[in-house]
Amino acid sequence: MRETQVEPITSSAANTVSRVGPGVGKLQKRNSPPYWMMFPALLLLIIIVVAPFLVAVYTSFTKLDQYTIANWTHAPFVGWKNYVNAFTQGNALGASAIQSVWVSIAFSLLTTIGITPIGIIAALLVNKPFRGQRWVRAMFLIPYVMPIFVNAITWRLLFMNGWGLIDRILSALHLASKNTFWLIGPHSFWAMVIADIWSSWPFVYLMVLAGLQGISDDLYESAHMDGATPIRCFFSITLPSLRPILGLALLLSTLNHFNNFTLPFIMFGTPPAPQADVLPLNVYVTSFQTFNFGLGAAMSLLTLVLMMIPAFFYIRMLRLGEES
Amino acid sequence: MAKLKAISKRKILALAGISLSGTLVVAGCGSAATSGSSAPAKGNSAGGKNITITVYVGRYNADPKAQENLFKNTLIPEFEKANPGVHIKFSAWSTAAEENTSIQTSLATKQGPDIFELGSTLIPTAYATNGFHVFSQQDWNTLGGQKKFFPAQMTMSGPSPDKYIAVPEYMQPFGMVYNKKMFAAAGIKTPPKTWTEFVDDAKKMTNPSKDQWGTVIDPSDSFDPWKIGWGFTKQLGGDFISKDLKTATLDSKESINGLKFWFDWLTKYHIVSPNDLTYKAVDADKAFENGHVGMEIMRAPTMVPALSKSVVKNDYAFAPMPTIPYGMTTLPAGGVPTQTIVSGQYFCIPNYVTGARYQAVLKFLKFLTDVKQQQEFFKTYGYMPANLDAYQNDPELNTDLIKAFIDAEKNASPTPFTGAWGNLEVVYGGVASKIANEIATNSYKEADIANLLKAANAQVQSSLQQ
Repeated sequence: MRETQVEPITSSAANTVSRVGPGVGKLQKRNSPPYWMMFPALLLLIIIVVAPFLVAVYTSFTKLDQYTIANWTHAPFVGWKNYVNAFTQGNALGASAIQSVWVSIAFSLLTTIGITPIGIIAALLVNKPFRGQRWVRAMFLIPYVMPIFVNAITWRLLFMNGWGLIDRILSALHLASKNTFWLIGPHSFWAMVIADIWSSWPFVYLMVLAGLQGISDDLYESAHMDGATPIRCFFSITLPSLRPILGLALLLSTLNHFNNFTLPFIMFGTPPAPQADVLPLNVYVTSFQTFNFGLGAAMSLLTLVLMMIPAFFYIRMLRLGEES
Repeated sequence: MAKLKAISKRKILALAGISLSGTLVVAGCGSAATSGSSAPAKGNSAGGKNITITVYVGRYNADPKAQENLFKNTLIPEFEKANPGVHIKFSAWSTAAEENTSIQTSLATKQGPDIFELGSTLIPTAYATNGFHVFSQQDWNTLGGQKKFFPAQMTMSGPSPDKYIAVPEYMQPFGMVYNKKMFAAAGIKTPPKTWTEFVDDAKKMTNPSKDQWGTVIDPSDSFDPWKIGWGFTKQLGGDFISKDLKTATLDSKESINGLKFWFDWLTKYHIVSPNDLTYKAVDADKAFENGHVGMEIMRAPTMVPALSKSVVKNDYAFAPMPTIPYGMTTLPAGGVPTQTIVSGQYFCIPNYVTGARYQAVLKFLKFLTDVKQQQEFFKTYGYMPANLDAYQNDPELNTDLIKAFIDAEKNASPTPFTGAWGNLEVVYGGVASKIANEIATNSYKEADIANLLKAANAQVQSSLQQ
């Protein structure tokens, strides 16, 4: 029985060997994956991703506004004018796309820089077992699971001028005047950064905690036997081991913060202070409040180009992970 | 044989793949081509049989449940019973942003709700899209006639009576709410009739040490600044856009003085709290409800439910707003005694609603704007009926409070009917916000108002030149 099972395989292998030459192409063709079966998926991809993207590109070259929205395919073609305007023309507040880009970049970088040490420290605190560990871990997630609009409204109230808790505390500590404006003026940028750090640090915490689970205790035991201090262990074992996951976390965080629309929209509404006029908010006001869809599309595509830079590193990082 | 089988299997798979793709394409095209509601209509046949209509209105945030109950348990069953075969689907938007996006998407894709509820100042923009039905005389006959509604409300239905696109649903005239207790303590007997009296009265009530202020401003709000600024401008004899709707006049002397006067309340007369610079309408309302403010202008009766639960529930009253500009005893030449903009909500029907569905929608709108239903709206969430007859023989609609607002409605001024008005609201909000920023950071100069309005005017002008 065994022989009869093996034999066809052997003969098949022999046949394969004997066909080396002209028959190989046909066999390879027959055994190659049926790529055409991907056609429905490709079609869906075209309908869902490519078509809207092309519509956005087309829109960015037209003067699509409230007068042409009902018949958008006939909107006047204006060429590169929208792209030029995106850099030169201010919105209702006078903030051009380029100004908003800088606000968004500063906002996303500062927030990411802010949440990183908090997330790492929090993860280290709850990594070792202790009584009530589960409760503490759950509590750390509260800012992250709380709906963003609740966060934003809460911070708006906290930052209210004069009677908000922030002003009162700062005044009691003699650190600032009770009448410091946080929701307008230059401080609005910092109010936005603080609120976003509070609501997003658990993201880094979660990623780091997952990374910490993967570090072998043997490494720490060996280091301990060699007389390494906890600080030395952190810098020589923990941090290098966390590097891939931390890099990914920081990259994703930067991308997320750059695209954060809800927090500034709810905290400041429209119009926001120019210092808090992040790019997504600027695009929204331009497109949906002043009905300048063509200019809004051009600004969105510029955003896309900007986002491709960190996205490129993100994809590269994922590939490196696969190779390792 | 095996080869043949393999090929036929592949062919079968290929055919299956192509048919699946074809189905998806057809489904995609089909959905795009379907006019009317995104909800599946059960046979949009002639004769009004089995038609499903989607009505899309603003959510009544103070009590969404009451609104839903009114539509789902009272209005819709009653209409469906009287109109067999017509089914109504109710949905509500929560924010103006959501409403705007839905309108834009529906008009571009030619599918979506069959009835949109739009605010009075959005109607000109909606008209400019050419995406909504212009009602014929026959349509108005079906709706119950134009005379059914308050004449001032009809002025925002379209640019002229033969080009109306909107049916008045309810009205929301503005007035001034004041704190009777603070008035009495300051020895003020009657509400001010001129803005000079207003400022003087406000000074009497202001006591910063008690966090008590004569009035309140909300320059960080998206909409209040233009409403207030436009009112002052009209009283001074100006406007934001010329009568022929071709020239933006935001940088006119009247417009500059109007906005300057509003900020003078803080910078010159000190009758409002510096905290107000960050306020939106809701914050200003809260300040009044908490008893910190003597007078608040441009407020509608929709504020009443919140007031009746607040600290000042027994101490508030409404009065018409002053109409004589500051420092004057009579209106200047060209000045209009504007007490309120024509404000309220309207129903509009997108162009993609046609045939039997359109006729069914007209019937439903007639039903919603008839006396009984209009009174139901008022009883449920305090919206003032746009139907004139709704006020007859209804004691709840004949109180002093309601009469004050009906008087204000008689002196309501329609805003210029132009598609650029939506842009103007946003741009003007930007100017108010910038001035507030400057005051907060001690970099404000009076000349900045003129400069910013000049820049804003250029932006509005560019959207007028279509």
